[in-house]
Amino acid sequence: MKMTLTHFEATLILAIFISAVLAVVTKKTDEERFRYGMRSLGWFAVTVFGLGWLMYLGHR
Amino acid sequence: MSEKLTAPLPPLPPAKQWLPPVVIAWLVPGGGHFYLKRYYRGAILGGCTTILFLLGLLMRGYLFEPMTGDLLTTIIYVGGAIADRATGLLYILARIFGYNAPDVAGHSVDYGTKFMVIAGLFNILAMVDAFEIASGRKD
Repeated sequence: MKMTLTHFEATLILAIFISAVLAVVTKKTDEERFRYGMRSLGWFAVTVFGLGWLMYLGHR
Repeated sequence: MSEKLTAPLPPLPPAKQWLPPVVIAWLVPGGGHFYLKRYYRGAILGGCTTILFLLGLLMRGYLFEPMTGDLLTTIIYVGGAIADRATGLLYILARIFGYNAPDVAGHSVDYGTKFMVIAGLFNILAMVDAFEIASGRKD
């Protein structure tokens, strides 16, 4: 059995896990962790979309 | 120019206080936190590490073997091998059960390889966190 993910799925999964782990390790309270995790995930998503469009437009 | 004031670190406690949780954290992702009764942190750190490693296996990612050569090759292969081995029992079990996917070109295999390396980096973070909690440097 081999699993195949698209670039978007793979980077999104990675972003979710990295955000969760960094939030748990670096912040002290649950509220801080939640806010940090959400902000980190948001920035990951924005960066992925931005770089994706940049590469698409750069290859046209 | 501003100066950042930092409190001095407390003295390092004896190894028997922090070594067991660090070794357990290496062997079982999240286990060091469970040993220290930090169940919530342990579940998240262990869950993220294990799931990411298993996804890497399912994507037939490559487990690095240390290899030297030019600087970039050395950094990638030695660093990758250290990170892979940092997943503890996950790595050991994968090897025992004969997992040996080749390093072939393809985006799925590449992501799988990176997933397993990042799982190892997560576990290194968990080991450092367990050390800081056990040595009284973190709540």
